[in-house]
Amino acid sequence: MIEARGLAKSFNGVHAVRSVSFAAPDGAITALLGPNGAGKTTTLRMISTLVAPTKGHALIDGLDAHVQPLAVRARIGMLSDARGLYGRLTARENIEYYGRLRSLAPAQVKDAIARLAELLDMGPLLDRRTDGFSQGERMKVAIARALVHDPPNVMLDEPSNGLDVMTTRNLREVIRQLRDAGKCVLFSSHVMQEVSALCDTIVIVARGSVVASGRAPELLAASGCDNLEDAFVRLSEKAGDGE
Amino acid sequence: MRLPVATVFLKELRDALRDRRTALMVLVASILTGPVTLVLVAQFVSGLEEKAATLKVRMVGQEHAAALVNFLKRNDVEIETAPADYEARIKEGRLDAVIVVPKDFDERYLAGDGAKVEIFYDDSRTDSGPAIRQAERLMRAFNRETGMLRMIARGVSPDLTEPVKVQHVNTATPRQKGAFLLFLITMFAILSPLLGGMTIAIDSTAGERERGSLEPLLANPVPIWQVVLGKWLAAWAFATGVAVLTLGGFMIAASFYAKQRLAAMMAFGGPEFAQFVAMVIPFAAMTSAIQMLICTYGRSYREAQTYVSYLATVVSFVPLAVMFSGLKDASWQLLVPVLGQQVVLSRVVRGDGLSAQDWLVPSAVALAIAAAGVVLVSRLLRDERIVFGRN
Repeated sequence: MIEARGLAKSFNGVHAVRSVSFAAPDGAITALLGPNGAGKTTTLRMISTLVAPTKGHALIDGLDAHVQPLAVRARIGMLSDARGLYGRLTARENIEYYGRLRSLAPAQVKDAIARLAELLDMGPLLDRRTDGFSQGERMKVAIARALVHDPPNVMLDEPSNGLDVMTTRNLREVIRQLRDAGKCVLFSSHVMQEVSALCDTIVIVARGSVVASGRAPELLAASGCDNLEDAFVRLSEKAGDGE
Repeated sequence: MRLPVATVFLKELRDALRDRRTALMVLVASILTGPVTLVLVAQFVSGLEEKAATLKVRMVGQEHAAALVNFLKRNDVEIETAPADYEARIKEGRLDAVIVVPKDFDERYLAGDGAKVEIFYDDSRTDSGPAIRQAERLMRAFNRETGMLRMIARGVSPDLTEPVKVQHVNTATPRQKGAFLLFLITMFAILSPLLGGMTIAIDSTAGERERGSLEPLLANPVPIWQVVLGKWLAAWAFATGVAVLTLGGFMIAASFYAKQRLAAMMAFGGPEFAQFVAMVIPFAAMTSAIQMLICTYGRSYREAQTYVSYLATVVSFVPLAVMFSGLKDASWQLLVPVLGQQVVLSRVVRGDGLSAQDWLVPSAVALAIAAAGVVLVSRLLRDERIVFGRN
């Protein structure tokens, strides 16, 4: 369960995030949808404790990200915007490293890797060094690394960036499985189709503020449009007019 | 359960060791540089000594200088007739110095009328220095002897021309004469930790950010200082390892000279090695921490590399400055990073005894700076502008 309450962040007088509030429940997929520069990544960074909010709170399973960062990090698996791997280590070693940093015993890490290799269909990749990996293969390792401690909350920042169609489809399947396993899944995207195909709840963010949120039909009704893309454009522009 | 510090430490070591090319380069450089330099310098120095040791002069026209030849022979000097093209040979560096006696030498000498000889040499060639000085010395000795004999013949005491008698008492032991050689070892002892710690310092800070692995790493439920501590320990271990290999190379090379005349000058054996290592370990702690600190500011791997090479330049300047400024030992120097190490290591190679303070003071300063460096890096990595890039 992830909850944002009036999150705001400014860097040197520039308001990256003005006011973001939403709730992402367990067992559901919630999307932050918005154009580039809307403040999605900064919002996710505030939730993942790496950026301190100027105002507001991020609560993860009731814990304030800013007050108890270590406890919060232990409850989150985050696929961030930066998803670099250690090229000289094998996929397995990359994942192991994060498992050990999250205090898992070697046996637990081993089990987790076996489980994730099946979920992500990456068994043959495990013992190869990652420096020759394709985008899709890197993505799999990065996701496995983020999920090695089986966190109740999963956050993915623009997960389908740079992936081909097949890999994107597989990724969607993985996200659905995570939801079906009862996890709170929160992801950001600027791609309409992806969001509408996958999400239970959509939070539209524009210029650092939430302009609308709800299920897809609710958003259509609120905007008076008959497709989600028009609704997104209409709602985003409305936020701009309001200034 | 393994501590996060240990996890980070082991990962960084493994990662660095897998970087074959860099590891190999550092390894070869550190093992070979020491011995190669030592052998070259030793060759050079022993060459100098040989040239000066055999008393030998080359002359042209010695048949015109019976008295001089007689003097030289009495002093066990070997006289060799120089070839006719001696001037060209000197220019080419095939001859060092030639004493040229003019035809009218004996005539003028016997008349006491300003007899002349000429010494031909090219003093732009440093290795001919000893031969030149030897020729001069022999000519001066000949002059003094002749002068004295002439004064005695006229009933004058030779002491009149020499009111003050100068005696040379050189307190330098052979070992101190070799200090120049051993100066090189202190130089390498100070620079090798910088070379060794560099890879991990860059890779684990600026490299980590450039690769895009810094943000996910910091999102782990581990306090940042523990991550930094693990990285620094890995850099320190590498820096120490390379320094020990370099110094070990010197020790092995020096042992090859153990039976030669140079042995006393090359005294770098087990005890000196141990004292060097004891100095270098805390020093490496400091250099690795400082390297990490400046690399954390680097926006890219390249930029960090540039900063690190600046640091190496500044550090290598210290031993040179000490050598050429003729700075005298003083206890405040122990408090200055790098200078303190340089002073103490120089004492070790000169064979002077070390007090506990000599080790303790520079090492305490180094460890304190290392600790401050680790704290500062941890602070920086809590700064959003550093982690996510600056605008």
